[in-house]
Amino acid sequence: MFEKMQRAFWKALTPDLLVDEPKVTALLSTDLPSSVIAALGGLDNLASQQRIAITRVRVQLRDVTRLDEQALRAAGVPGVMVLADGVVHVLMPVPKVGPTVCA
Amino acid sequence: MTIIQPLQLLAPLSGVLVPLDHVPDPVFASRVIGDGLCIDPTSQTLCAPLAGVVSNLQHSGHAISITDDSGVQVLLHIGLDTVNLAGKGFSALVEQGQRVEAGQPLIEFDADYVALHARSLLTLMLLVSGEPFSLLTPDNGLVACAQPVLHLSLGDPRSSVAQEEGEALFSKPVRLPNPNGLHARPAAIFAQAAKGFTASICLHKQQDSANAKSLVAIMALQTVHGDALQVSAVGEDAELAIRTLTQLLVDGCGEAVTALAVVAPVVQAQEVSTKLLRGVCASGGTAFGHVVQVAERAPEVPEFAADQFLERESLERALTRATQALQHLRDNAQGKAQGDIFKAHQELLEDPSLLEQAQALIAEGKSAAFAWNSATDATATLFKSLGNTLLAERALDLMDVGQRVLKLILGVPDGIWELPDQAILIAEQLTPSQTAALDTDKVLGFATVGGGATSHVAILARALGLPAVCGLPIQVLSLASGTRVLLDADKGELHVDPAAPAIEQLYAKLQQQRQRHLHELEQASLAACTRDGHHFEVTANVASLAETEQAMNLGAEGVGLLRSEFLYQQRSLAPSLDEQASIYSAIARTLGPQRNLVVRTLDVGGDKPLAYVPMDSEANPFLGIRGIRLCLERPQLLREQLQAILSSAGLARLHIMLPMVSQLSELRLARQMLEEEALALGLKELPKLGIMIEVPSAALMADLFAPEVDFFSIGTNDLTQYTLAMDRDHPRLASQADSFHPSVLRLIASTVKAAHAHGKWVGVCGALASETLAVPLLLGLGVDELSVSVPLIPAIKAAIREVELSDCQAVAHHVLGLESAEQVREVLSLQQQAMVETSQVLEN
Repeated sequence: MFEKMQRAFWKALTPDLLVDEPKVTALLSTDLPSSVIAALGGLDNLASQQRIAITRVRVQLRDVTRLDEQALRAAGVPGVMVLADGVVHVLMPVPKVGPTVCA
Repeated sequence: MTIIQPLQLLAPLSGVLVPLDHVPDPVFASRVIGDGLCIDPTSQTLCAPLAGVVSNLQHSGHAISITDDSGVQVLLHIGLDTVNLAGKGFSALVEQGQRVEAGQPLIEFDADYVALHARSLLTLMLLVSGEPFSLLTPDNGLVACAQPVLHLSLGDPRSSVAQEEGEALFSKPVRLPNPNGLHARPAAIFAQAAKGFTASICLHKQQDSANAKSLVAIMALQTVHGDALQVSAVGEDAELAIRTLTQLLVDGCGEAVTALAVVAPVVQAQEVSTKLLRGVCASGGTAFGHVVQVAERAPEVPEFAADQFLERESLERALTRATQALQHLRDNAQGKAQGDIFKAHQELLEDPSLLEQAQALIAEGKSAAFAWNSATDATATLFKSLGNTLLAERALDLMDVGQRVLKLILGVPDGIWELPDQAILIAEQLTPSQTAALDTDKVLGFATVGGGATSHVAILARALGLPAVCGLPIQVLSLASGTRVLLDADKGELHVDPAAPAIEQLYAKLQQQRQRHLHELEQASLAACTRDGHHFEVTANVASLAETEQAMNLGAEGVGLLRSEFLYQQRSLAPSLDEQASIYSAIARTLGPQRNLVVRTLDVGGDKPLAYVPMDSEANPFLGIRGIRLCLERPQLLREQLQAILSSAGLARLHIMLPMVSQLSELRLARQMLEEEALALGLKELPKLGIMIEVPSAALMADLFAPEVDFFSIGTNDLTQYTLAMDRDHPRLASQADSFHPSVLRLIASTVKAAHAHGKWVGVCGALASETLAVPLLLGLGVDELSVSVPLIPAIKAAIREVELSDCQAVAHHVLGLESAEQVREVLSLQQQAMVETSQVLEN
């Protein structure tokens, strides 16, 4: 409830700043650090990126051979899962639970 | 097979270890099911962490249990909320009952699909059998599949579950009939029965299982009405145990299993008045008396003790005496409900997990009082933290029993209150023991800050016939003892220091209301005809078979709105076609072929989500995928529901109603599906098909909808919020989102006009129809049927009998030209008074 109200409040104040819902394919909405982007082969190698399943960023690579797993690990990524068709899951820590206020 | 001693468990997957406390799921994080570890996987084949038998494989393929020969049981659960995927993305490589080697592949899953469709891929490996273990790796590093990760100390097993040798027998699943699940009383009865057998017995709910002899464990399963439960047993009398316990579940474990009418706690507006305090009715009635504040100080508890043996003895002694005291309360209980509550308290005292916790602490050098207090506190906190109101209320029972034993250990006498006559007790919280010990000669009622309408305190208050209000604002605790208060429990109100005329007035008003209500009840079965002889149909809004039966007893002429959501909510799997069909048929049979049954198809969405229909969260669910939009997006759901509804054709006058329709294409698509399903079933006659008018677009285009429907039913709540652009749950706008607003009334008027031009009827099934003030207005606007909430059926029928249709038409015509909802209400109130006066003149 609190979260909902706070959101509505921000939306009223800054209607064009707040995206209604993180768009599924919106680029750059996941804020991967630049070292991670570089290890994935650079921004132009990402066909799409998407935050999923709480702990994952799913990226679609244009060219899988440009993926550097070693560099990913060096960039502090705890785990990476390379799937078929250039899909890669970059694993993240479980986010800290935000303040949940029960009204 | 080589036996490796001690036992090591292998990582079931490759991936990143995640501390269990960080798992965003309270059930796993709280270790209710068991302790263990969590892996965020980077591989897609789940492998056996130890050699053993597949003791359970969820048909949805997302969870599996392996039990080894020494009774160690490990649960593997892939992802969070993956049960909702109903098996999609998982393929099992083994079968239930099959013996597997350590490291053997068990389940393959499509990580990308699961990650995209479920809440999380975090995979749990939990030691259900409860052996202590140590981690062989840091709890946040990378692990490779089949790498040893846990080291088990196989001492004496902590629970009796693993003691029995042999194959576990499983019962058929039983649908839990208890309206509130297995809460303390039925759980206690079940645990008691289970204790009568020597076999090790488990109660299973999906992938969760509980020691059936432990009341706490059963309660922690958090069962709800309709859950499918299974009983398993290992041991000599396993077969008999399963047969007996399954029957007990079917019979409701001592509870009457016709649905109970439970008053949901109402969230009250935060209106703070010093003269009037509002809460929730826990037990009906009215009383006038003096405030007695009840506060109990917590006794002091020494933490350490020198002699473990003496402490253990002291705990034993206190437990025995507490059990005797509870037995005394049971024997002297005035009703079965009370007796059962104290029986449940006795069961809590015998609970193995509570005793284990306490004894472990005593072994560490703590005093008996401290150990017992910590054990009950920890378990009560766990109950409260699970986010389940019923379980949170059971925490009060646990605290109550905990205090009883604690006082006995410490030798603190049980406080007996010196009460004045005509006492109205006020407390933060009253425990069941306190409530049962009340001297009803002196106590007239009570009012508390905590507690809910389903708490044991409320049940006891009803059994004692005392009015009680709970959920009052905290200010109530600062009322001076001796203050005169009027407790109007029916309304959930506490009037502070009421003036003498106010008291008389309230009594007189209550008296009048009671008489009026009795009169309405007497006339309930008669038709609702206006003074000038026009008959209007009054039907019921229902959400269960029990409500339908109740509605018929109160004079309903049919069902104007069956909220089919009740079949889908509060459960983790979709209801089967048969289950749906049998409920629709039972309701239809209750009505009979002469009465209307209007079934509204599933009306859910982002604002009322379903566990097993994954939906994206929406920024504005009221403007999102709701009602018919959701059903058309998931046509299989709608088709199956239509099949189920159609199976009751002929048993009642069947009507199907689509919610949230805003476009003609939606109606046409749904009609096509209905026709196809009816054809497939070989039905000669289609049921009537109508739509809810709750979106302004549908009301404004009613003339285009009318030729293609058989009826309209107006949902005034949604129609109001969409017309006025005011969220009906908004803290400040809700009171202005008033269905009496002329804009809403104009939409109703034009809808009726369009429908009648095509010979179709219009009902109102929103809350407006249940308001007596709105009755003349709606009749005047030309509405043909009022579908109202069940308890108000007699009152609405009575209101119809009081008016003349010609007067109603005049007043309706007049209010359509007014400016605001307030003005409309004022005109209607004046007219109502005038009518009451004329009717009194006519009657005298």
